[in-house]
Amino acid sequence: MKKNRGKLVFILGCVLLSFYFLYPTYKDYKFTKELRSLTGPDSLKYIDQNETAIRKARTDRIKLGLDLQGGMRVVLEVNVMKLLEDMAKNKDETFNSIINELRAEAKNTDQDLIDLLELKFKAKQVRMSRYYGSIRDNDDDVVKKLRDETGNAIDRAMAIVRNRIDQYGVSEPSIQKQGGRRIIVELPGVSKEEEVRQLLQGTALLEFKLLIEPEIAAKVYESIDKSLAGEVVSDSLLGDTTKKIAAKQDTTKADTTNPLDTSLAQLPEDQMKAQEEARKKHPFFALANTFQRENQGWDGNLYTAEDDRGKVIRILERPDIRRYIPSDMAFVWSNKGEIVAEGKRYFVLYAVKRMPELTGGVIVNAHATIDPTSNLPVVDMEMNSDGSRDWARITGANVKKRIAIIMDNSCFSAPVVQTKITGGRSQITGMANVEEAKLLEIVLKAGALPAPVDIIQQATVGPSLGEDSINQGIWAALLALALTAAFMIVYYSTGGTMADLALLLNILFVLGVLAGFQGTLTLPGIAGLILTVAIAVDANVLIYERIREESVTGKTLSASIDAGYKRAFTAIFDSNLTAFITGVILFQFGSGPVKGFALTLMIGIVASVFSAVVVSRVIIEMLVEKGKHVSFG
Amino acid sequence: MRFFHKTNIDFMGKRKMWYTISAIIIFLGMLSLAIKGFHFGIDFLGGTELIIEFSHPPDIGKVRTMMDDAGFLKSEIKAYGNPQRLLLRTQLQGEGTVIGDRIKAALNKTFPELNPKVLQEQKIGPKVGQELRRNALLAVLTSLVAMGLYVAFRFKFIYGVGAVVALFHDVAVAIGFVSFLDGLTIHTNFEIDQSMIAAFLTIIGLSMNDTVVIFDRIRENQKIYRSMGLEELINRSLNEVLSRTLITSSTIFIITLILFFLGGEVNRGFAFALTIGITTGTYSSIYIASAIVLDYTNYKQRKKLQPAAAQKPSYETINQ
Repeated sequence: MKKNRGKLVFILGCVLLSFYFLYPTYKDYKFTKELRSLTGPDSLKYIDQNETAIRKARTDRIKLGLDLQGGMRVVLEVNVMKLLEDMAKNKDETFNSIINELRAEAKNTDQDLIDLLELKFKAKQVRMSRYYGSIRDNDDDVVKKLRDETGNAIDRAMAIVRNRIDQYGVSEPSIQKQGGRRIIVELPGVSKEEEVRQLLQGTALLEFKLLIEPEIAAKVYESIDKSLAGEVVSDSLLGDTTKKIAAKQDTTKADTTNPLDTSLAQLPEDQMKAQEEARKKHPFFALANTFQRENQGWDGNLYTAEDDRGKVIRILERPDIRRYIPSDMAFVWSNKGEIVAEGKRYFVLYAVKRMPELTGGVIVNAHATIDPTSNLPVVDMEMNSDGSRDWARITGANVKKRIAIIMDNSCFSAPVVQTKITGGRSQITGMANVEEAKLLEIVLKAGALPAPVDIIQQATVGPSLGEDSINQGIWAALLALALTAAFMIVYYSTGGTMADLALLLNILFVLGVLAGFQGTLTLPGIAGLILTVAIAVDANVLIYERIREESVTGKTLSASIDAGYKRAFTAIFDSNLTAFITGVILFQFGSGPVKGFALTLMIGIVASVFSAVVVSRVIIEMLVEKGKHVSFG
Repeated sequence: MRFFHKTNIDFMGKRKMWYTISAIIIFLGMLSLAIKGFHFGIDFLGGTELIIEFSHPPDIGKVRTMMDDAGFLKSEIKAYGNPQRLLLRTQLQGEGTVIGDRIKAALNKTFPELNPKVLQEQKIGPKVGQELRRNALLAVLTSLVAMGLYVAFRFKFIYGVGAVVALFHDVAVAIGFVSFLDGLTIHTNFEIDQSMIAAFLTIIGLSMNDTVVIFDRIRENQKIYRSMGLEELINRSLNEVLSRTLITSSTIFIITLILFFLGGEVNRGFAFALTIGITTGTYSSIYIASAIVLDYTNYKQRKKLQPAAAQKPSYETINQ
């Protein structure tokens, strides 16, 4: 017992850890089942009540591959050819003929397009700076600039795609960069190809929209709040000012509308009650907080916790609410949430003018830098002459007001206009860090220079095929498991039973590791799991056959067990290591579902060696020590 | 319970016969490959592939006419798992996903009463296909080399050679069977796609596993029976591990067979290759890997003996 105590504790630890990792998967399954049994308004209500818990279970469960739950997988590639065309200025006959030659050649070669372009220019003895960069650049400078630009294009495309997918509302999308030119997008549960394609391929729309003044927005929000609380919205209220909102805030000082005050202290019970009441009284502001600080004017933004965003959107879309919203008023959300209070992520809801003041086509360039005097990140933005003229008029008329920079309907920044800007060069300040500035640069450029992408690979798996395969896969796996387990018990009696126990733990470990490391279970992954079972059985067979051999030579039971495990080890080690090597290679070269197979196989090999060499041995030795007779058939 | 009591089979004695049988099987497989060839899957070819479910089995001839009319000449049309499901594939390339859309439009127009439903759609660009093919080949070759090196390092060089030849043998047999059976029934649409490559690599892994267990026992017995001849030693080792070999292999065999029959259409090609692979993997460890080690060692000994015998006097004179 003593010599095994440490191992036993370790094994139990692994088991507990696996259960801990798998618990969200179980929760998610329960929620899904619950939701399926509910219909219409009931299920909406259920989501409202449990949104946080459901979301958490979703993110922490074992991910299912697209082949199992249906969905779309799209591989996008930046179209360098098109980019080279779009970037050129002063295009003329010479340029067109070069580009046409290049296009014809590009179809049959894998060579770098920029290299080819350079060669073509050299052959024609034309300076590249005639079309790209500035006049002083030599060809090398231009090539470098083109390279930077194509490199940036993928970041731009990523930003555009990510933003759109976030808005589209896919759960668990995966967006990855592959190499320098490709983006892999996986959208589980999505099968509307037409929509997704437009989502991914269309040109980004960049707009500048004026924010609605806080006083006007306040009236609208007030009316919505009142209407939701069941109060009659009088016409006189529509003439109220922001002061009224401020007053409301005072009366509900300790309520959730201002978590900044309450986040630190534990709430006494009566305060909890007060909070509950405030929630009833101001249903809208409880969801969309003003987060107003004392002695400060309200800036017109509302803040909504990530989990409540769906509710707010649903409220704003209700026809009975829509009548309080002026026709020239629209809403946009911030592109990402910020942690404001209680460790929750809050999104900003901006009220903006429906019509844009300007669109992104006027932007010539944008550049994120650190301002040398203030040492803060800034973005310099440059517009063309048409844009500059409009910009001067717009900024002149709206000094001290805010203009939202909106790409594809989400707001990336809402700077305050400080002065009238003539000449088309503006500087945007107030970004929290360099990354934010860089993102804004990417967004502004997306308006100017699109990042053309081609769909080079696309796969859609209908959910019904997914369900079919998951059912068949699971049945096959269970049957295989049951047969193997039964055989082991019949053939190796007690030893076999222990091996089966180790086998079950083995499966538990594999799933636990998958859940813990956010791995994805695919159909080939299930096949890999079944193979793991086979490998685990093999390790046990090797050991038990050896124990039988040893006991024939007349050794005592515990001596043969000892010798069996010891002698079988080299064979187990070598054979599993070779299998592991194939797993690694498969993982390296495979793509998509095959990677899933390789991953489960590798995890499975490690787990099965552990369960056969350590787990089953500990159990068997403990039984022997207790004086039980352990038979190996 | 025990199936195998102490056996004493002369495995190595019959190795010449088994070499011949292996050679014949591989030859037949290659013949099928030469005549019938094999189908690359969509992921290696590039093109557009749709799996459609109809409410009733459609007339395949009509589907073909429809495809031809829509401009997709030489497209591939076959039943997928059951007669209601069809796999349509064309190698034509188009911008984005226009090809898939055109096929879907044509289907809806031609078979409105059969309510065609898209179960799966795949589009793969030609460059991607090329890349995946290269990667797959690299993966198989790398793993063969890696296995060989590992065994050569852990055992002796010739063991590594024997193991790798056995692996080549297994993959060759599996490809032969895949080519031969492909398309014989609607349930055996075996294509060389990524999951088939995964299967080949798994075969390599499992066959290696088996070979290593046998080599491990030979290595162990070499230390115990120092004076025993290699043939007897290998036979002894094979008999000792026979019970393990057969039990493990038949367990895996049954598992892959279950996967083949019940695992669904998607896993079928994979499971089939594995079923063949586990059989040949077991066999090749004995009659290819071990046999090559034996023959090579014998060959070297003979070579060493012959010149040594001829030159013996001269050496002796020099030494004395």
